[in-house]
Amino acid sequence: MNTLLEVSGVSVSFDGFRAINNLSFRIGKAELRAVIGPNGAGKTTFMDIVTGKTRPDKGRISWGEKGLSLLGLSEARIAREGVGRKFQKPTVFEDQTVQSNLIVSLKNRRGPFAALFYRPGSGDFERVAALAGKIGLTAQLSRKAGELSHGQKQWLEIGMLLAQEPRLLLVDEPAAGMTLAEREKTTDILVEAAKTRAVVVVEHDMEFVRRLNCRVTVLHEGSVLAEGSLDHVTSNPDVIDVYLGR
Amino acid sequence: MTGSFLARNPSVPLVLGLLALATVIVTVMAASGGVSTSFVKTLGMTLCLALAALAMDLVWGYAGILSLGNIAFFALGGYMIGMWLMTARTEAIVAESLAGQAIPPTPAEIRDAVGGQIFGVVGSTEFPAIWAFSGSLPAQLALVVLVPSLLALVFGWLAFRSRVTGVYLSILTQAMTLALALYLFQNDAGLRGNNGLSGLQNLPGMGGVPQSTVSLWFLWSSALMLGLGYVLCAWVVSGKFGAILRGIRDNEQRVRFLGYPVEGFKLAVFTLSAAITGVAGALYYPQAGIVNPAEMMPIASIYLAVWVAIGGRGRLYGAMIGAMVVSLVSSFFTSGQLPDLGLGPVRIVWVDWWLVILGLSFVAVTLFAPRGLGGLVDLWSQRRRPARHGADLGPDRGSFREEEAEA
Repeated sequence: MNTLLEVSGVSVSFDGFRAINNLSFRIGKAELRAVIGPNGAGKTTFMDIVTGKTRPDKGRISWGEKGLSLLGLSEARIAREGVGRKFQKPTVFEDQTVQSNLIVSLKNRRGPFAALFYRPGSGDFERVAALAGKIGLTAQLSRKAGELSHGQKQWLEIGMLLAQEPRLLLVDEPAAGMTLAEREKTTDILVEAAKTRAVVVVEHDMEFVRRLNCRVTVLHEGSVLAEGSLDHVTSNPDVIDVYLGR
Repeated sequence: MTGSFLARNPSVPLVLGLLALATVIVTVMAASGGVSTSFVKTLGMTLCLALAALAMDLVWGYAGILSLGNIAFFALGGYMIGMWLMTARTEAIVAESLAGQAIPPTPAEIRDAVGGQIFGVVGSTEFPAIWAFSGSLPAQLALVVLVPSLLALVFGWLAFRSRVTGVYLSILTQAMTLALALYLFQNDAGLRGNNGLSGLQNLPGMGGVPQSTVSLWFLWSSALMLGLGYVLCAWVVSGKFGAILRGIRDNEQRVRFLGYPVEGFKLAVFTLSAAITGVAGALYYPQAGIVNPAEMMPIASIYLAVWVAIGGRGRLYGAMIGAMVVSLVSSFFTSGQLPDLGLGPVRIVWVDWWLVILGLSFVAVTLFAPRGLGGLVDLWSQRRRPARHGADLGPDRGSFREEEAEA
């Protein structure tokens, strides 16, 4: 398999508490992966480490064909390398229109001076229109993002990530607080996105994971407990013990 | 972010038009004796304060950085132009008084005499090293922009890189300002200690021009710079740069994870703000006549923030209106024209009570009308606020509140 991201032997502790313990993880270039695990299993910390928000105590993270190490790079630099991150709570620029949110996210030069002299061209508008279509917000383009419903904000954030043209998309609990119809649409967006890039979805909700129909990684106490299809991991006695059985 | 510059900034022609109209009216009235020279100066200074408020709004209203250091940039701008004004004018006076002597004075003698005149008050006759360029107007004009920008660049780089945000950053900027003020109070700092630079209202070589004319010149230049500053700020905040600034204000994380170097953006806007404030100060202090370190005391930083808050942050015209209204009302209350009010045992002396009124109006604006005076413009232009059921526009501490935003 063609590996895009490889995390190996990563550990991190906060005040003696081992949030991530010798974690190893790899994902291919066009793959959808669900990461599940009980509260405190280290799912969010895992994302923090990959995106540069948290520095691990030890371990390696290698990225892309050249095996670039992501350790020690700033969050912004890692994002420019092609790692997009969606937060648990929808985080969009609420004071700005949907269109402005998407234009700001489009893959362009990121420096202050480039931004100062940037004028959106017709190509940019076409891409924004295409993205808006993909996330179902075409009719909302001129509205302030803050006025959107919870589900729409989640989609907008996913749209903003897609606008960055990331090679890896990390999505934290996208279905939280969504209605059933919204969940189905979210699944479609993510499955579609995973056709051309790697997508990692952290999720609590088993039904949602089942609908994603992809390989599943189970985290427990900061390391990988099991990996495989959903049916495979849910029949694993360890997994039943810590997560499903109760 | 889209559309032409004017479509994105409908306020620009209106502001420029009103500014030009006000300048013409004041000029005509001054020529016919309708307004006094001192009032023309007050108006000119008010325009400079409005320019400083614009720059403050750029960092606070748009980028969410409540900088209490902008007043230091303002005073530094004044110091830089003041150094040339004092040197050049003293030189002219000294040259004149020495010209009558039997043996013409050498340049070194003139320089010594000038040094004695300027630095006599702090017990020195030597020009300190920082006065090296004080003989050259172009050099000091460049320093008006360069010194505040450089200070902002270095300070900002250190502060933003360490990811100091919110109230801690405000305290840090206030500490910088206070430290600078305390340093300049010392005689060996080389800027005449607590005396500051004085006599700045007298332009070198313009001894024959009455102050009534000079005051108009400054009014015009202040209006011009305010107009240019407004256009520049409008251009900066209405494009993608402005969108990212507002993103940083409301949700810094999101901007960072989109790949933008947040620190670079903060540094750019902080430095730009410092440069604009420096120019405002350089126009203000020749009208005020004197600049000293007391100008940088904490109360002045607070004033700047209060103007922007009362005017409505995140709106360029709001900052301008706030600075103009509050400083004009302030000079009305503190001018002593208003008779004291006797309320039984309490006697309301307006000069003292003005600060109480200002404080109360600040609290009232924050609580009941966070859009400030600029919000009146929104009423007129029928802008609505979004229905967000009390939710703020972002998780960050500088983020907009529901009441401040517009739909």
